[in-house]
Amino acid sequence: MKEELKMIPDLSDLTCTNLMIRLKILLKKAPEDSAVECIVRRDQRDTIEVPFSRTGYNVIVHNIGNNRFQVSLKKKGERQEH
Amino acid sequence: MTSHFFLLEAMVTQERLTWIEEVLKFYFLKLYPDTLLHHAKPKEVVFTFLITGDALYSLNEEDKLPIWEIILSLPSVKIILDRQELDLRGISVERLKMKNPEQVIDHNSMGLNGQTSFWKDVVKIARQNAEPLPSTIGYLQLESPYMHSSGLNTLRCLTAAMEVRASVDLYCYLDGVHLSHIHQNPTECQNIGKGLEGLSDNAEKRGLQCQMFACGRCAAARGYSTWDDGKGVVISTCTIKPFRIRNLNVIIDQFKRNHVILGGNIASIKQKKNTSSSKYSTADKGSAPPVTILITKAPYGTEYAFGALSFAVACAHQGIQTQVVFIEEGVYALTGSHHLGEETQYFNLQEVIDAVAESDNLQLYAYQPSLLRRRITKNKHMTAVLDIGKTELGQLLFHSSRGSQAGHQRVLFF
Repeated sequence: MKEELKMIPDLSDLTCTNLMIRLKILLKKAPEDSAVECIVRRDQRDTIEVPFSRTGYNVIVHNIGNNRFQVSLKKKGERQEH
Repeated sequence: MTSHFFLLEAMVTQERLTWIEEVLKFYFLKLYPDTLLHHAKPKEVVFTFLITGDALYSLNEEDKLPIWEIILSLPSVKIILDRQELDLRGISVERLKMKNPEQVIDHNSMGLNGQTSFWKDVVKIARQNAEPLPSTIGYLQLESPYMHSSGLNTLRCLTAAMEVRASVDLYCYLDGVHLSHIHQNPTECQNIGKGLEGLSDNAEKRGLQCQMFACGRCAAARGYSTWDDGKGVVISTCTIKPFRIRNLNVIIDQFKRNHVILGGNIASIKQKKNTSSSKYSTADKGSAPPVTILITKAPYGTEYAFGALSFAVACAHQGIQTQVVFIEEGVYALTGSHHLGEETQYFNLQEVIDAVAESDNLQLYAYQPSLLRRRITKNKHMTAVLDIGKTELGQLLFHSSRGSQAGHQRVLFF
């Protein structure tokens, strides 16, 4: 798990708006069929969860610690591995 | 009754004055051609220009004076000048005033302290557009105090607002957050920190609301946020008491209300209310005044362009109809192909534009005359940013096709 976490970018320092921007950039760059993952805070999770699910993304959130959440975003219609 | 107003404080370039002239011509020639007929001239002022600070120089310069004369030849345009700042700079407007005595106002109303105040006039104009009374007047501050006179103007404006029993809101963004710093101790000018604390005390005594917000991201970058609970509450030991450091979204929440928001360089465009929606619903997205953000500065050299785009994304995300126009030096964001190292924390502005272009409630535009003037072209891959000319800019500002019930549109210069 620790190894896996190292690969996932920690975006918890970003403000909610800039997190949205960063995620949109990462989603644009991401190869088809792949998910974008990151580590965020609780308030960031609340900010991204609804808008992304509303605009055609599957959003999966795992609580991984005190005020830390691992978020996975993937375009709907594509199979998502857990 | 004034319909639309511009509040200009920073140096006005010939380019800026030219596009302002063009949008006014669009308004009168295309939308209200009848007003150009002598017998049909409107009795009420349609456009008011409130001019202070370095913007006053434009009234006395060879390349800009003819443009002001054209603007003043249009029906029902008035300019109100800051007498104190004119005198300070030794600027004479006699030539312009002689030709347009009823339209050029260079004496200001009397304040409660017995002195004339330009800001009293600003508040009077702003309040004409506010409804219902008693109202709130907001102010967006982007610059630091002392280095820029805008900090002092903010204090003067909010003080004038409170004199007419308006509640006041102050939104500090980018370097504007420095207004909140504790222990300000200038020796050569008014202490703005103390002034803002006094304003807050006065509001309490008068039973008025006085909110002061500093953007969390901007404050953190500048070393203000000393404790963050991770849930939106930030406590700083280096801000004066009235200030709250909050996430930008909290500030944008205030922009969903219908009050007038002033600032160093802003415009307020009156719009016909869309009556198709229920007039009783005040919390839906149609009740928030639409926002047009003009990105006028080159990217990267300062935080303005990114700050503006980030602000626009936050507005759109909160359901506010938002348009961004890259204009003047702001068009440099769209030219060439920008590259940034993989490891950097900073944003490539073109990547940001590309990523946010499909966001709900957000439209992006490139003002072609600004590109032409610089003999540069837009990056052909930036198809999400639509090219617009003079006519389209006029349409963006004056066509109330965005379904708003707010009655006015906010135009913010970054």
